[in-house]
Amino acid sequence: MTAVEPGSFRDPSGQVFENDGRIFRTITARALADYTFVRDSGVLRRLIDSGRLVASEEVDPAILGDGARGAPIVVEHSRIPFVSYPYEWPFPALKAAALFHLDLQIDLLAEGVMMSDASAYNVQFIGPRPVLIDLLSLRRYREGEYWTGLRQFCEQFLNPLLLRAVLGVPHNQWYRGSLEGIPTAELNRLLPFHKKLSWQVMTYVVLQARLEASANDKGTADAGAIRRKGLTKASLLGILTQLRGWIAKLKPADTGKTVWGDYARNNTYTDAAEEAKCRFIAEFSEAVRPKLLWDLGCNSGNYSAVALGAGAGAAVGFDFDQKALELAFDRADTEKLNLLPLFQDAANPSPDQGWQQAERRGIQGRRDADGLLALAFEHHLVIGRNVPLDQTIGWLTGLAPRGVIEFVPKDDPTVQRMLALREDIFDGYGVDAFTTALKARARIVRAESIADSGRRLFWYDRS
Amino acid sequence: MNRIYMALLAVPALLLFSTQNAYAYLDPGTGSMLLQGLIGGIAGGMFAIRLYLSKLKSRFGRAPASSVSTRDGEQDPTDKAR
Repeated sequence: MTAVEPGSFRDPSGQVFENDGRIFRTITARALADYTFVRDSGVLRRLIDSGRLVASEEVDPAILGDGARGAPIVVEHSRIPFVSYPYEWPFPALKAAALFHLDLQIDLLAEGVMMSDASAYNVQFIGPRPVLIDLLSLRRYREGEYWTGLRQFCEQFLNPLLLRAVLGVPHNQWYRGSLEGIPTAELNRLLPFHKKLSWQVMTYVVLQARLEASANDKGTADAGAIRRKGLTKASLLGILTQLRGWIAKLKPADTGKTVWGDYARNNTYTDAAEEAKCRFIAEFSEAVRPKLLWDLGCNSGNYSAVALGAGAGAAVGFDFDQKALELAFDRADTEKLNLLPLFQDAANPSPDQGWQQAERRGIQGRRDADGLLALAFEHHLVIGRNVPLDQTIGWLTGLAPRGVIEFVPKDDPTVQRMLALREDIFDGYGVDAFTTALKARARIVRAESIADSGRRLFWYDRS
Repeated sequence: MNRIYMALLAVPALLLFSTQNAYAYLDPGTGSMLLQGLIGGIAGGMFAIRLYLSKLKSRFGRAPASSVSTRDGEQDPTDKAR
């Protein structure tokens, strides 16, 4: 069955199709000249070989049948392990994607190639490594042209980063609502006077917002004249490198001074309970060898790292703690782990949204994990968000056919803390109710109490 | 004297108090093009100087200034109880 990827409707240069798990892209007649230019100049091959562009091989257009609609060229792409969106990326991932985009554009200019847009959705991650997925955004550079992607770059990369770096507010929730990023005019209105005094903020936020407003008042009278005036290549490179230098220095405004390397040394790995937990996860991962593991409540990625070391192919971690996600991303990056940590609130996961509510898929629709870790997680839903225990187990076991779920008892310090200032309405919450709910849906392969913590690990299998 | 102050203040004031506009969704990106026209000259000049300096350095036997592709991904993480 050939199905059009519903997110690829915007570009008349081609469309993405999925057929039996394989990904194809059509290249229509209008995009042919630019495509053959980047292909024949060797740029395409170099980008693919260096891992900056998703693998793309030309195939016989007949493979798509009528679906190709007469497109002269069809390429097959390799699959990205997990499709993610910028509103799910933690700060360092968005920053890595922004730097990736700028570096790519700077390098491409030397080869006479320009990127036609600066959509953050065209960047995907393989582990912590960004990769461009849209070869149709590459075209021949025209002498004197402006960077048409600047506004989009600011809205989809720069402004969300500034929101956190200048104001200490994570971009994720706002970005998820607006989808197209954070408008410069709105960021400008939020910034207090003293934050506008840096010349970069003054240029790219204050001045740009002002110019947008005035250009708008004047209508299109100016547009033609500006276009004719043109921008030299040196100026274009100057702007790109200037932005790059600035973004490389951006850091979240709301984090302390500690370094994650210290965290790795000071964590509780030596602790007997922790060791038992790691051993259990390693044995699960060795036996199941999941191709894609979902780690709910991934924290700084310790257990994903254990699972990856023991045979899991790739891991996607979810957490709603920004600092934990930042640790996990940096860890994946420095240790070269195939782990992508993403922002997600399990009680309010990413929905189907965008055009016809099909452009950006919800987290459930992207579910193709074959292994699950939910460690010290269920009590956040059951006690923290009042989701009934039975529903929580049903949801968790539905995410992947095999996995490990940790039960956290009521007398655990974290649960006690959650209940400290509220009435305990969780009469039925206990290991027996947990076991019953799990047995109703899956076979319990193994269960193990973790030292004297009262916590218990359950390895389930419903396949 | 006051007049000069007022004139000097007027420029940033104009920038800081941007007007409301009702048709932002119609704008084809003219604002960001105008911005490039304004800053392009300076940015281009700075780029040329940096390029010249890195060439100069490499001529005197030093490795060229770390290229644009080096990553600065350091964050400031903190511990978190699980």
